[in-house]
Amino acid sequence: VVARLVHVEHVMGTVVSFDIRLDDESRRAAMSAAVAEAVTWLHRVDAVFSTYRADSQISRLSRAEIALDECDADVADVLALCARVGTASRGYFSSTYAGHLDPTGVVKGWSVQRASELLSAAGSRNHSVNGGGDLQLVGEPEPGRCWQVGIAHPLHRNMFASVVGVRDGAVATSGTAERGAHVLDPFTGRPAVQLASVTVVSAELTLADAYATAAFAMGHAGRDWLESLDGFEGFAVAADGSGWWTSGYPKVGSLPVP
Amino acid sequence: MPASEGDRTFGLVQVRLTITNGKITAATAVDYPQNDPHSAEISAYAIPALSSEVLAKQGAGIDVVSGATITSDAYARSVQAALDAAKA
Repeated sequence: VVARLVHVEHVMGTVVSFDIRLDDESRRAAMSAAVAEAVTWLHRVDAVFSTYRADSQISRLSRAEIALDECDADVADVLALCARVGTASRGYFSSTYAGHLDPTGVVKGWSVQRASELLSAAGSRNHSVNGGGDLQLVGEPEPGRCWQVGIAHPLHRNMFASVVGVRDGAVATSGTAERGAHVLDPFTGRPAVQLASVTVVSAELTLADAYATAAFAMGHAGRDWLESLDGFEGFAVAADGSGWWTSGYPKVGSLPVP
Repeated sequence: MPASEGDRTFGLVQVRLTITNGKITAATAVDYPQNDPHSAEISAYAIPALSSEVLAKQGAGIDVVSGATITSDAYARSVQAALDAAKA
């Protein structure tokens, strides 16, 4: 049995679960220190980027109280990332919300990927970091077996719609629970309603998360868009309980036998 | 595909639905369909919902859960919370 180091942190309005598989117990202290470093990083991200905190740099930047060059360098990086995702998604990803600057759609995936990279830099070879349902996975949970990721069924609490097997990679799911009530279609200003959830599987969580949000806003058109992207596979459950997936999805994911 | 190909530990079965005038008129088990993004054919697949216990019996024990953003309150009742609590 492989030893586990599990840490659960409430941060960024969600829950981030760290699950590190230790080669042996002698690694536990070093990995605990790495988790502490990653947790400090996530709280720093929350303080800088939270749109729920009036004193965050993003909130102050949105009110034009401070300039971009007065913010952490990460702020400019994240806004540039938002712009790239906006272009790649043909405008379906937007970093403004109700007239305010809101890069929330990339911050979680980006910060959780960075947290995973902090663990890897500290020597972790097998771990998962789960930021409120968006995952960066490294290595294996046990020798010879990949991480089995249950895709939560959006219409049935604590049930699963699909299972994805990943060694090194990322899985992000966007759905109606985001932003409190909904993801908006930026072209209509109305909530996107065709889909209940979209899952994107890729190598890195930053883009997987952003593209899942964009595909959710696109609705059924998100399938052709995801199909057109190299290195991204998608799976969606529609509001009516039907589903679709990209042609490469069955290589990484499967549907459970009813 | 940069994400490594997963080990599919159990069979893949989908149900193909024929929808006529908005109603399901036929449901056929199909084997491993490949979506054709250029197909204009309207087809839909009913997505089953299974519990982690049933998946485990099928040999697909779950290590971690992906789902739309979860609140702290919802986390407490989630399968992810149970997985986190089950420290090996």
